[in-house]
Amino acid sequence: MSLKPKRVDFSQTWDILQQTVKGVITLADVPRSTWNDRFTDVYSLCVAYPEPLADRLYDETKHFLDDHVSELLLGVSKQGDASLLQAYHSAWTEYSQGIDYLHQLYLYLNQQHIKKQKTTEAEIIYGASCAAAADYQEQMEIGELGLDIWKRKMITPLKESLVSLLLAGIHGDRLGKARHATTDVICGVIQSFVRVEEYKKKGQLDLYQQIFEEPFLEDSGNFYAREASELLQKSDVSYYMEQVSWRFSQEELRCQKFLHSSSAPKVRQCCQEKMVAAHLSWLHTEADVMIENERRRDLSFLYPLLRPLPSGLAPLIRKLTAHITQQGLRAIGTLQGDNVHTQFVESMLDVHTKYYELIKAVFKGDQAFISALDKACSAVVNHQPASRQPARAAELLAKYCDSLLKKSSRGTTEGDVEEKLARSITVFKYVDDKDVFQKFYARMLAKRLIHQQSQSMDAEEAMIDRLKQACGYEFTNKLHRMFTDMSVSADLNTKFSSNLREREGQGQKQLGIGFGVYVLQAGAWPLGLPPAPGPFHVPQQLEQSIQAFETFYHAQFSGRKLTWLHPLCQGELKLNYLKRPYLVTVQTYQMALLLLFEQCDTLPCKEAAMSLGVSQEQLEKHVVSLIDCKLLKKSPDGELGEETTLMLNLDYSNKRTKFRVTAALQREGPQDAETTHRSVDHDRKLYLQAAIVRIMKSRKLLRHNQLVQEVLGQSKITFAPSIGMIKKCIEALIDKQYIERTANSSDEYSYVA
Amino acid sequence: MAESVQDNVERGDGDNVKTENFFTLKKWNAVAMWSWDVECDTCAICRVQVMDACLRCQAESKKDFYGKQDCVVVWGECNHSFHYCCMSLWVKQNNRCPLCQQEWSIQRMGK
Ligand SMILES: [Zn+2]
Ligand SMILES: [Zn+2]
Ligand SMILES: [Zn+2]
Repeated sequence: MSLKPKRVDFSQTWDILQQTVKGVITLADVPRSTWNDRFTDVYSLCVAYPEPLADRLYDETKHFLDDHVSELLLGVSKQGDASLLQAYHSAWTEYSQGIDYLHQLYLYLNQQHIKKQKTTEAEIIYGASCAAAADYQEQMEIGELGLDIWKRKMITPLKESLVSLLLAGIHGDRLGKARHATTDVICGVIQSFVRVEEYKKKGQLDLYQQIFEEPFLEDSGNFYAREASELLQKSDVSYYMEQVSWRFSQEELRCQKFLHSSSAPKVRQCCQEKMVAAHLSWLHTEADVMIENERRRDLSFLYPLLRPLPSGLAPLIRKLTAHITQQGLRAIGTLQGDNVHTQFVESMLDVHTKYYELIKAVFKGDQAFISALDKACSAVVNHQPASRQPARAAELLAKYCDSLLKKSSRGTTEGDVEEKLARSITVFKYVDDKDVFQKFYARMLAKRLIHQQSQSMDAEEAMIDRLKQACGYEFTNKLHRMFTDMSVSADLNTKFSSNLREREGQGQKQLGIGFGVYVLQAGAWPLGLPPAPGPFHVPQQLEQSIQAFETFYHAQFSGRKLTWLHPLCQGELKLNYLKRPYLVTVQTYQMALLLLFEQCDTLPCKEAAMSLGVSQEQLEKHVVSLIDCKLLKKSPDGELGEETTLMLNLDYSNKRTKFRVTAALQREGPQDAETTHRSVDHDRKLYLQAAIVRIMKSRKLLRHNQLVQEVLGQSKITFAPSIGMIKKCIEALIDKQYIERTANSSDEYSYVA
Repeated sequence: MAESVQDNVERGDGDNVKTENFFTLKKWNAVAMWSWDVECDTCAICRVQVMDACLRCQAESKKDFYGKQDCVVVWGECNHSFHYCCMSLWVKQNNRCPLCQQEWSIQRMGK
């Protein structure tokens, strides 16, 4: 074979070439050698001398293909509806393969002749090409030409019949009546609509969408609308949702089986529209009942149906929030008895766990539903039983922790306690006024520490760590300081003891009693003691210990003063005047009262009050506690008064030789809770001022609204301050000259260094 | 650590003393509160109680100020007292006591 251009007789060459073209397009057996010769012929024509014959070759080939497809059309349409699809499909299968081969046979024409003269992309964009010849028909590569001819000569005339047969076939498939053999045909025919335009640079799916997808979606819509209304008439919502879900999954499989992948979302949307969106308000009404009765199975069918719709889930989320709130309030609404705190926290946790599990199982842990749970729990926890009455969660939760951390005889293991405390953080996170909780917690912690009632220091510290993790260092700062005082006190006691021993060695008198002291830092301990009306006359037996310790303490520190908290002090007295000795633990006031009887047998209340330096009212409380435990007697019987005479009960006996007398006023009264709430207010102002100073120090210059926003942002983790309170704090800081209003604007502040 | 305080007490030996007394005091577990020995418990400069850290220290929420009281109190010769932090900033502008206008000089520091 020569590659040199030469004269070629077109008619003669084309006659021969045409035979092979026919063979190739009909998938007849073409020997390799013939193929090679014709391949060369295409080349020769394209490079013919004196003038290339490529254009003629193109035109003749086009003409040939036109005729060929027209002939095929004739054969296909002769078949009639019954086997039209089948006939089209086999013609297409042959033709599409044949045109692929032909394309290869014309390789030279395609690559050297047509590609070169093809309008470039840029020219298309700028519209610069072929302005002169509007009806100039651009040449296509042979493969594309073949498909284009198929489109015009085969699909266009047949499309109505083809599509209605396709739709009927798919309809049959939906009803379960399709014959298996037709699946391949339907699929193949639909694919042909895509294939014939696949070569295009854009709008590849135009034909498919226009002639098939559009009517298909319309038909499907009608089918599913009808299906939905039939279902509605004969079934309840449970069956309806099951059927719809089943339809959805079937239709998805059908899409994969027959359609182009781009149709799947459209089909899904069509189904959703007709079977879900069209009946949305009915489904929402039913959903309310499902949530009300917690029908988990129904809800797990409903959730995936509604999720894709833009406002599909919103009513469910609202309803679930209301439902959980209602259930929560019911759970904590009727609490009674001594352990209200335990009931409160554990009921709250039960509600939380129950609905958390439900959301995980039924709503796939959807974040929107988790938020609904949070919102509901927060509403329940912070619910105010009556207006102007503070929510009790903070106090109850603190009490719950207290009951777990206290030494108790009940058989709870340490692991048990740890787990319960860890779980209580769930409730803690919902408490709005975390600072109120902190106050109650601190008071109870103080009591546990001072009265040595803590079950375990490890558990105490682990709990404070949890609070710190949830709310930050500032939140637990005072709690840490209380712990620090405990260890500092331990050190002080050790030093004091050795100091005493030294002095003993130097001949000083010893104290004569066992003495230990906790020295607490004022401000860190929320002890809220009532102010003493006058100086309490400390029993002379204690005087020496107090003096010795104060001397020791002032030598250690400077600028400090000590205040003895007698209501918190306890002494151990040995009673020598009874048939057998008893060891009794009493509060300092009770101890002082008993010690008065060392000097006398009977004593009127009035005198006792004077000797102790306490009010009559105070004295009576302590007297009552000692009369109640039968250590004291009174005369006459009846109401205590200034003239009532007191005396020791010399016939006292007790099975136990070592016991404790309950101190007056040890039970936490409602008054305590009130003081706690009041001191919260003071602390909040200080917290806000510190926050404002901190913000202004880093920002230097801020507008009023920005400052308020930043303060709100910083404080929201512990409490929600009112705007009024923030304003007052800003004014206070302007007053103290920490910040000032700038000269140019009245609502802008600057930091004063 | 709380237990250790009370276990570590100085043991009295009242038992050895032969006594006709009705009562023998064996043990006293006391609780005391310490505070700065000041006339006014609020710092006149930042108006926060002297037992609490001053406003600036609270704003900075120093991580190491528990355990050790960093923000101590200072007394002037006039016997007025303030947070040391507050006063040391104050004297940079005005070396007089904000309460009595006497020239400021430190009498003692809290420890
Ligand atoms: Zn200050
Ligand atoms: Zn400071
Ligand atoms: Zn002064």
